[in-house]
Amino acid sequence: MAADVHSLAPEVVVEFFAKIMPFKELDHETLHGMARHVKVDFFPKGTRLFHAGETTISHLLFIQQGGVKSFITDDEGEVTLKDYRGEGDYIGALGIIRGTKASLDVETVEDTFCFLLPQAIFLDLINTQPGFSQYYLKSFSEKFVGTAYAELRRHKMTRRGDENLYLFSMQVGDLVKKPLRKASADSTIQQAAQQMATHRVASLLIHQPGRPDEIIGIITDRDLSSKVLAPGLAYTEQVRCIMSSPVASVLSQSTCFDALLKMMSCSIHHLAVERRGKIIGVITSHDITLIQGVSPYSLFKEVGKQQKIPDLYPLSKKIPEMIRNLIKEGAKSGNISRMISILNDHILERLLTLLEEEIGPPPVPYCWLLMGSEGRREQTFKTDQDNAIIYADPKNEQQAKEAEEYFSRFTRKAIDHLVECGYPLCPGEIMAVNPKWCQPLSVWKGYFKDWVSSPDPQEILHATIFFDFRSGFGKASFADELRQYLSDLTERHELYLLHLANQCLAGKAPLSFFRNFIVEKNGEHKNKLDIKHQGLTPFVNFARLLALRHGIKETNTLARLHVLAKENIIDESLWVKAVDAYEMQMQLRIIHQLNQLEIDAEPDNHVAPDELSELEKRMLRDAFEVIDRLHSVLKTMFPTP
Amino acid sequence: MLSLDPPHPVLQKNRVQFLDFHQGAPLAEYSFVVCDTELTGLNKRKDEIISIGAVRIVNLQIQLDQTFHRFIRPVNINPNKATLIHRITPEELKKADPAEEVLPQFIEFCDNSLIVGHFVGLDMYFLNKTARQVLGGTLSNPGVDTMRLARRYKDSGQTDHYGHHDHASAYNLDALAKEFGLPAFKPHDALEDALQTAYLFLYLIKKFKDGGINSLKELYRAGRILH
Repeated sequence: MAADVHSLAPEVVVEFFAKIMPFKELDHETLHGMARHVKVDFFPKGTRLFHAGETTISHLLFIQQGGVKSFITDDEGEVTLKDYRGEGDYIGALGIIRGTKASLDVETVEDTFCFLLPQAIFLDLINTQPGFSQYYLKSFSEKFVGTAYAELRRHKMTRRGDENLYLFSMQVGDLVKKPLRKASADSTIQQAAQQMATHRVASLLIHQPGRPDEIIGIITDRDLSSKVLAPGLAYTEQVRCIMSSPVASVLSQSTCFDALLKMMSCSIHHLAVERRGKIIGVITSHDITLIQGVSPYSLFKEVGKQQKIPDLYPLSKKIPEMIRNLIKEGAKSGNISRMISILNDHILERLLTLLEEEIGPPPVPYCWLLMGSEGRREQTFKTDQDNAIIYADPKNEQQAKEAEEYFSRFTRKAIDHLVECGYPLCPGEIMAVNPKWCQPLSVWKGYFKDWVSSPDPQEILHATIFFDFRSGFGKASFADELRQYLSDLTERHELYLLHLANQCLAGKAPLSFFRNFIVEKNGEHKNKLDIKHQGLTPFVNFARLLALRHGIKETNTLARLHVLAKENIIDESLWVKAVDAYEMQMQLRIIHQLNQLEIDAEPDNHVAPDELSELEKRMLRDAFEVIDRLHSVLKTMFPTP
Repeated sequence: MLSLDPPHPVLQKNRVQFLDFHQGAPLAEYSFVVCDTELTGLNKRKDEIISIGAVRIVNLQIQLDQTFHRFIRPVNINPNKATLIHRITPEELKKADPAEEVLPQFIEFCDNSLIVGHFVGLDMYFLNKTARQVLGGTLSNPGVDTMRLARRYKDSGQTDHYGHHDHASAYNLDALAKEFGLPAFKPHDALEDALQTAYLFLYLIKKFKDGGINSLKELYRAGRILH
């Protein structure tokens, strides 16, 4: 009798396991039997639970309360966030089943209580309980394999059938199947071609003569046809004449998605794969297309092929569906908005190229500027047009008139086509079709000078859109020149920056209210949270302000923060926290908008905190804590007199 | 109450276990029994223990397979008082074993562990009072008080919670569990309270670790009771 009493599993454990899969399927006796073996441990926030490749996993951990993040740290110390897990989630199953050490780094992001199920008991369940091994093996493809924000997706997205996860789960190192083929830069073109034929490879890495480890270039079969056969170059020339150099490379641990982004943004088809400072092979866009099926890359290629502008309309409308798939595969928000930007840029480039062909070349060179979120490469689904044109200062009256006429016609057509492509008009009329925003470079400089030297609060607000400009098409050097001009201006105008800082601080979120809102489950506040203005804008404003102050030319918020940390303008820990907080909120926003698109609603930024999971709420609350820290940094930098 | 008989064998063994007790080892090497008692009331002279709940902590992990939960038949059953808070019915108490049967089991369960409790002095007082009456001696297990630990923890300013820090806030178990955001248990059930205390204890010693509590000696300085 006494023994029974001592070994009865406490209710709390049984209740916990009776609610989660696959334990809820267990019969009463088995459930109580396993629950008796459970231990409780507590890990304060910031405790490292697993070290990838080092930790031997003795227990399967179930989060009773709290949350953890898993991440990968690569050879260069770069950290990639993989997943957040919260209440009811488990950690460590893969390692136990495979009998390997931990494959990810895991750290608590909250004070976390875990139930510990000893390895032996868990393995026994796997071996004896129908459905157990299937459950855990199936969820590996969903959870373990490099998917970020698994919880967000599980709550927000209903999965449609079995989708491929390869783009995010596979590391490029896994794609390198063939041994590395290389040739010395002083070998002849013919020798190189022979080597390619013998090994049946379509590319060859080129190394420094006498130093086989020093890769300096690459040749592909396309180089042979376009640089040798077509121009009739002698086969006896050195291969270095036709190689592309330097070789773009990716780290072997990068995901295929990252490699794809790199290929798309640089318009290249081959990437060298690097492991611990050594090139181990080459991957091609074809390799990635093969594992992907219908890929973002094929959409990208389709766009480039079109010869008529209206044929671009349906292609651009495919972007949301493609993004949807990417999110399901576990893309992080940073990746998603980069991908959206690349595709939008590509469509714009094709569209304007075709338009120039249609109405004839411009009388003076110009640069199509992208501004606002497009300028920052931070678009989600709702992408208003924010654009403008800078053109070269006309030489005389005549040319000025020609330019005005040309660009007026050009922009009107361009903007209409863009609307057809699904980019709505900018309500503030910040568009190239507005004559005010289609001006010669010298006029643009004048605009910026006026804004910076006469800070009227209304103007400041207005101007923030313009500060995030970048070149979208055409002569990028105009944008660069304007950027340089602006940097020189703002670095000198501390007073202007002070005004901007005040503006940032004035936009402070109602934090105390928000805290209660987040904590109280049944509050009477049915208000939704404007995640863009209250949550994301403070980060954007902060990064922009400090970028202006320190002459940083990046326009992307994450990139600006990165530079700020690298140059020790903000400290490392703040950077890490800010990036986490910003990405997490972007992710919430994207998923929110995706859900709206699914029910044919207009995407907006109003998220209902009630519908968030506990972990999301806590992460959101943490994000708002970071805003507080950003503001106190601002207050220190710009003390009010 | 002075008795010339030797104490109950379980107490003799208990005493021997602590004859050369060392305080120098790291915390993780000790085992703890976190316990809670339910009483008929707080009158030190008249009132009695009616239930004991306890759970063991080994390797700084709560061992859920090592719990103890028993009702004790009091000498004077006063139904009104007993049912009021603990929801233990007089029938349950009438069916329960008397202290002379339950207490030795509890002392065996405690074995060589340290006893941890919330305001543990009160529990120890009644445990020792009963032990003297029915077993002819007292327990030798040193005790650790989570209430004192919590006070030390809050005074040290290590709390990093987002809530406002109300320094006058209550130190009762529920209030602390809420303030630190611990998983909640049903109050006024000896085992659930013991579990709640165990969670609090685990929370405190782990949050304290970097703040200087790594060995038993340090823990003692923070949460010692006198007995």
